[in-house]
Amino acid sequence: MYRVDFFDAKIIEGTTTSIVLDNGNIKEVSENYTKGAGVRALSGGSWGYTSVDGDFDLNKAIDAASELAAGMDERSHKEKVEMLDISKPVARNMPKIKVDPRDVSLEEKVRLLKEIGARAKIDGISSTSAVYSESSYKVLYTDSTGIEGEYELVRTGFAISAVASREGVYQAGRESRFGVTGYEIFEKHDAFALAEAAANTALQLLDAKPAKGGNLPVILDPELAGVFAHEAVGHASEADLVLEGSSILENMIGQQIASPLINIIDDPTLHEYGFFPFDDEGTQSGKTVLIRDGVFNSYLHSRETAAKLGGQPGHCRAQGHAKPIVRMSNTYIDNGTSKFEEMLEEIKNGVYLIGSRGGQVNTGEGVFQFNAEKGYLIENGQLTTLIRDVSLSGKTLEILNNVRMVGNDLTLTSGRCGKGGQLVPVTDGSPHLMVSEALVGGA
Amino acid sequence: MMYELASKGLKAAADAGADEAEILLIEDHKTSVDIRKGEIEGAKENISQGLGIRAIVNGAVGFASTNIMSHIEDAARSAVRSARVRERDPDWISLPYASEYPKVSGTRDPELEQMELDACILQTVKMIEGAGTIPGIVVTSGSFSRSFGKRLIMNTNGVEVEENSTGISGFADVITTKGEASTAYDFAISRKNDLDFTAIGRTAAELACRSQQGISIEPQRTDVILHPFAFADLLGSAFIPSIDADNVQKERSHLRGKIGEQIATERLSITDDGILDGGIETGRSDDEGVPSQRTKVVENGIFRSYLYDTYTAGKDNVKSTGNASRGSYFSTPSVGPRNFIIDHPGLDIIADTDKGVYVNTVIGAHTANSISGDFSVEARNAFTIKDGQIDKPVRSLMISGNIFEMLTKINGAGTDIRKVGGIVTPSIRIPEMSVVG
Repeated sequence: MYRVDFFDAKIIEGTTTSIVLDNGNIKEVSENYTKGAGVRALSGGSWGYTSVDGDFDLNKAIDAASELAAGMDERSHKEKVEMLDISKPVARNMPKIKVDPRDVSLEEKVRLLKEIGARAKIDGISSTSAVYSESSYKVLYTDSTGIEGEYELVRTGFAISAVASREGVYQAGRESRFGVTGYEIFEKHDAFALAEAAANTALQLLDAKPAKGGNLPVILDPELAGVFAHEAVGHASEADLVLEGSSILENMIGQQIASPLINIIDDPTLHEYGFFPFDDEGTQSGKTVLIRDGVFNSYLHSRETAAKLGGQPGHCRAQGHAKPIVRMSNTYIDNGTSKFEEMLEEIKNGVYLIGSRGGQVNTGEGVFQFNAEKGYLIENGQLTTLIRDVSLSGKTLEILNNVRMVGNDLTLTSGRCGKGGQLVPVTDGSPHLMVSEALVGGA
Repeated sequence: MMYELASKGLKAAADAGADEAEILLIEDHKTSVDIRKGEIEGAKENISQGLGIRAIVNGAVGFASTNIMSHIEDAARSAVRSARVRERDPDWISLPYASEYPKVSGTRDPELEQMELDACILQTVKMIEGAGTIPGIVVTSGSFSRSFGKRLIMNTNGVEVEENSTGISGFADVITTKGEASTAYDFAISRKNDLDFTAIGRTAAELACRSQQGISIEPQRTDVILHPFAFADLLGSAFIPSIDADNVQKERSHLRGKIGEQIATERLSITDDGILDGGIETGRSDDEGVPSQRTKVVENGIFRSYLYDTYTAGKDNVKSTGNASRGSYFSTPSVGPRNFIIDHPGLDIIADTDKGVYVNTVIGAHTANSISGDFSVEARNAFTIKDGQIDKPVRSLMISGNIFEMLTKINGAGTDIRKVGGIVTPSIRIPEMSVVG
């Protein structure tokens, strides 16, 4: 046994079932049963980490991680890493599952998904696809300070996409809903209506005009503004990025970095897709205010970064049994008081950007680029021409300062966030935002 | 051991009623060393294993997977259960049959299998030292990794193919610590222990340093030279989906019906190569046991072939091109490129350019429209070119266009061929691209 200063283990076991529908036919039905453990050990300033699959011997894994940590510390000695002590977590405030998806037959799920796919196949749509997935995982955490905890979480969700084509032009529409809920997700969300909405978006986009670029006043819809909150602000608030020198928010706590209208929050206790009762190093989950009235308030922390920078841990997550890192959960810009109509009146001429097809951000330089699903030109306070292939880019802090109005229609969107090669479930959201100037890119 | 296990799984599937069955077994051992803010943060050992089973009942395919080897028979029954909830797929023909496999080279290096932790740390330190040769730079994050593994594919049609492979890679993300914040990255990957880790750190550091004090430029149409990183990123997101036979069959491809047509400048050829010596995607077979091969995708500008796995090939009544690809043991096969080789006569491309923009990397390529080929991405570490020389860094730049239009317009390439994952390409020059600063 190697002497180490700290070790912990996350053990995860459970099943995932997914069904993929392609053009009305089942393309794939799959079941996965996984068990594994991720073990960390800390010796001085060095981490050792081991992951094991299947039927494993936990003590052996702890030994292996300890050997790595001790060996690393011997070879490259550096400043000691402290882990913040925490109190024992409780798996409280768990989402109530009304219909356990494991109690619904595979046949029934296949039947429903086919029906959903059929709703997207309207006139003009050349192809459709739909996916259903469910997972049930038991998570167990234990560390060398005597902390331990356990919970089981059920997640379900579905996604639909429709492609319309005309004379060599192809456009897609997509809708998806994922949550920490049982099979009742289909009661909460009207999957048939969403399938039709995806199809209608694809059809509309065929007639959309390519956008012209330039610096313009814009209105962001809740989905795109949510992506901005997550990608541009949320990631830059992650204390591990701050510590490595990759965040423009380094040394910004207490400073006015945004319009006073802006409040940004990360809250893993909400029963949304990013929910967890305690994080993957045993810290009870809690709400963290990143920006309060435009003032930068807090980073997102792990036990290591909280010990180093001061702050509350509780935002350290791992995909499966990978090594946990600082992550977001449910991240959103809080409601303001403006109505969408008031924004249109105020902006007069500009662009309304809707939805997101992803994007990227450089947190070190504070620049980002997001592609909207579609947009409308705003002329004399009216939505006029539908546009496509339109993107938003710029500097994070400039956009935050250029926000002139915040809507009162907060909406959250579920998705998965990638960092360090790991995907974790998250949601992000916002009300509509009116921004006085932003760089809009087009074809 | 692996063979006995796989045979047991195939038998369990047959006993449960499968007409055909296939087992994919993977074992992988990976060691990585991470860098954080100029220091080695720690080391990781990932020992992973898992198996995936496809079972076919009355022309319907079911799938199950697990990482618990002792559960192989349960997984086989689960795969059969999945197949039974599906209707017969009229396009299903069969799993691949036993065949001869090509010999491949450069995919397994015993040095990597035997590499000790000390040697792993030494290579990681070289990246930090390489970056350290440029003052005012810190490696914000980086990673060294080496891996070795084994893959077995066995099916009830007599396919039985086992491969051992190794890999090594390094990447470094750097930022300037003095003056304006400027970032850059570099990475390299190989199957053999032949990477220059010092160069990875140094290249990233030089690039970040040279990118400081960027200027802004007017929106314009100009010559754009894309570094292999930038070009590979755009190809992967905007072009490769269109040659995937599955997308073509589902009318999600711009290249549908275009075989034999001129789709690119006649100086451009593209080969999908599963047997390239030492290629990142090289192997004797693809991920469902079809022998690897070389496929001409574009020959002197003429579009020659889509990429197929067994299923999509069956639909078009052609032979699989050996492009079944699985991200992991828990994925079913889909069509994916192997080593994707871009061939264009090369020269000193910067010296050959009077005026234009050089783009090292792009962000947001995955937001490209994979059907239409339209993209609008942010260029990173971009520079203006004046009189055949790199002139000034550009602070922020959006480039947009259409990949298919681009392929017809390419008018030059460098000699700087890089392996960017499986994509092997030089720098590529495209005239008249739209840039917005």
